[in-house]
Amino acid sequence: MDLEVRNGEYLCLLGPTGAGKTTILRIISGLIRPDHGKVLFDDKIMNKVEPEDRLAVMLSQTYALFPQLTVAENILFGPDIRRYDEKVKNRTLADMLDLVRLTNRPDAYPNELSGGMMQRTALARALASGASVLLLDEPLRALDARLRISLRHELRSLAKSMGITTIHVTHDQDEALVMADRIAVIREGKVVQVGTPGEVFDNPATPFVANFVGQSNFFVGKVEGKSESTLVRGGSGQLVLARPCENAMGEKVVVGVKVGNTELHKEGEGFFDGVVERILFEGRNIYLDVDVPGLGRFSSKIPSWRLGRLAVGDRVKIKWSADKATVFAMPSDGLEKELRVE
Amino acid sequence: MSRLERATAFVSKPIIRNLWTWVVILFFLAFVMTPTLFVLTYAFTNWGLIQSDVIQNQEIMSQIWTAIANSFEIAAIVTIVDILMGLPMAWILVRKKFKGKELLDTLIDMPLAVPTAALGFSAAIFWGITPADLTNPLGLKIVSSPFILILLLHIIFTYPYMVRSLSAILEQIDQTYETAGQTLGASKLTAVRTITLPLFRAGLVTGIILCFARSLSETGGTVAALATIGNVDFNTAPTLIDSLQSTPALAFTSIVLIILALVLLVVVAIIVKRVHIPFRKVWPRPEKILSRGLGPRFKDATSVLFLVFMVLIPSFFVFTFVFTSEPSTSTDWSTFGQSLVNSFLIAGVVTVIDLALGIPLALYIAKNRSKWLPETLDVLVNVPLIVPTVALGFSLKLFWTGGTPVTGPFAIFLVMLAHIAFTYPLMVRNVTGAVEEVDSTYEETARTLGAKPIQSFRRVLFPMIKASILAGAVMAFTRSLGETGATRAVSTTVLTAPNYIVNLIKVNQDYYAAALACIILIIISYAIMLSLRYLTKRKRGVS
Repeated sequence: MDLEVRNGEYLCLLGPTGAGKTTILRIISGLIRPDHGKVLFDDKIMNKVEPEDRLAVMLSQTYALFPQLTVAENILFGPDIRRYDEKVKNRTLADMLDLVRLTNRPDAYPNELSGGMMQRTALARALASGASVLLLDEPLRALDARLRISLRHELRSLAKSMGITTIHVTHDQDEALVMADRIAVIREGKVVQVGTPGEVFDNPATPFVANFVGQSNFFVGKVEGKSESTLVRGGSGQLVLARPCENAMGEKVVVGVKVGNTELHKEGEGFFDGVVERILFEGRNIYLDVDVPGLGRFSSKIPSWRLGRLAVGDRVKIKWSADKATVFAMPSDGLEKELRVE
Repeated sequence: MSRLERATAFVSKPIIRNLWTWVVILFFLAFVMTPTLFVLTYAFTNWGLIQSDVIQNQEIMSQIWTAIANSFEIAAIVTIVDILMGLPMAWILVRKKFKGKELLDTLIDMPLAVPTAALGFSAAIFWGITPADLTNPLGLKIVSSPFILILLLHIIFTYPYMVRSLSAILEQIDQTYETAGQTLGASKLTAVRTITLPLFRAGLVTGIILCFARSLSETGGTVAALATIGNVDFNTAPTLIDSLQSTPALAFTSIVLIILALVLLVVVAIIVKRVHIPFRKVWPRPEKILSRGLGPRFKDATSVLFLVFMVLIPSFFVFTFVFTSEPSTSTDWSTFGQSLVNSFLIAGVVTVIDLALGIPLALYIAKNRSKWLPETLDVLVNVPLIVPTVALGFSLKLFWTGGTPVTGPFAIFLVMLAHIAFTYPLMVRNVTGAVEEVDSTYEETARTLGAKPIQSFRRVLFPMIKASILAGAVMAFTRSLGETGATRAVSTTVLTAPNYIVNLIKVNQDYYAAALACIILIIISYAIMLSLRYLTKRKRGVS
């Protein structure tokens, strides 16, 4: 595992449950010691530094607001411990309450607060501690769906405005895409890909990333032609197009294409045909599963206004534009294992 | 840097923290564990003496086996009665809402704060047929068998443990299981019997171990009760150890008692955990009838009557005695005063040491789960709870002095060590449980916010586990205050209040003074209990 976080950056560690994201945060904060390897802050080795001396503050998904302390006392926990001057403390408290919009609740106890208020109090407490690194462990997980989405922007802008380096752990790809300067996709304790949300989404490094960050369809075949796009032929003879690649002619490859880029048409040309098996209405979009004989299931996400034109049992043609499809070398452990989210 | 900051920084150094952990572990092993079990080595070093003085002596052997059999029979019957009568009471306390519930809750605990020597006297004059010189017009005078009297006595102070263990579990059992069973067509009784009762196992193990060990261990109350009815030849294992003189016989009895107690309790724990309660079969119609109308009312009435007549009235019957009997004149009250001072001094010092060295061990165990050393310590710490205190006292004396009689301040010091041995586990148990309940992210977050370990304990963890620490301290204090057996086993010259009462009854036959001393001791114990409870309540109100 090798990961560099830039000063003032908002980095999301994205990965499935059990990938080791929280462990990484705990190693960075010093709560656990790594068996081997180094943790460096500005080129200084931190392995033997105690958590309280690292200036890396952790915000857990349960917030861990100290129940016996009020909002104000919670926020001042760090400044108290570090024995800030009384004046500085008062100013910090006022600033923080203002920043997280809790100016009228400084004397409330945590159990009197709503989920969003608790989240904001915990954030204020973390920021007030004078830390230079903010470690967020699934900070929005315990909130209800609507609040979670509205707090995404707020959390990011607070961290950015303070100029604090933030590492945010999440398993929610939408959250990572919206919030991060860069995303590091983690799997089984290893960094699979680091890049901007755009890079990770559009240029996934592996089939796993392609499927985990925005669901993808996969097509297995052999490279049959290479020009401005790659031509791949499947086991039953179907031909599909994808972006140029560096794989050799005749090599077994996987073509991945996001479900949102998978087009379905009743008429015209397609790479292959299938029968609509299931339609899920998701509001703005509809989600269709199409059964393709010999290839299995392909999914597609299309705008809802097209719903009227397709129905279960319809025969449709499937295609995508070549520049939306990525070619990967066939994973050595097989495609199914590569895609497993565990 | 201020002095406090420098001290904080010093104790936060990893090397100092590790050192302190080792000091605490070594204390536990050297001052609690080893002395408790030291008597076992006597079997190896002095087997010849045991063989010649004890095993080949028919009379002593039969005495020992009878006493041990009595002890185990009484403990077993007491435990079964406690389960049968404690279960409905736990139900009332947890599931029912009614006026006066808090009062009932307090009443259950009342016998625990009374030193058992006082309970023994009180129960004996309530139930027992007493000698002619003990005038007691209000006593029932229906029990002449010492076996039954001791049985009735032991129910009094084990019953609260069972009710507490069972209600603690019942509180954690989700009532929706039962509701689900009922919506699927089961009557209330069927649902409780087939769904909730099997979930009780953990609480049952705790309850059985506490009750069994307490009954097996009890000395003061048993001695007092037996003396009150003028018994001469009936013995339980602790009273026999209390009366034996020869070291090999004492050692042999202690060894057998310790081994049997440990084996039996391991067996009980395994049986209760492994064996399923084989009551899958249901009888819908009779159970439906029993679930309504008179059935439940009869059950509730029985359990309340049991509490009142079998536990509370015998506990406090001693209060009637001073009004109905002739005052004695020859009592030496200054000795009683001195014994009270001794008792409180010992209990106080013991509690402070339990606090200082028990909390760190509890923290170490609770925070390092899944490592072998803390797991082992977690099991070992229960051992002094199970070992009968009189055997523990004898073992400890053997360890420190080789068995020679001790007097003076050194005797008081040894008594303190003995009391620490059996109260220390209470503190560790209480605090370990409480720390495990607290999510570790609180302290971790505090650390990343800049708190050193000691600061995060003081500011974050301590306020959350304060109540349990206090509960542990109260338990340790009252157990030490009420202890008779261990004290007498270590030294007969250290006069504590319970020992003074036992002597008044057994040696002086000064029953009036004994009753008065019991009452004074009960009142002081309650004053302390209530003020501590008041203190915790008030502090909890603030946070």
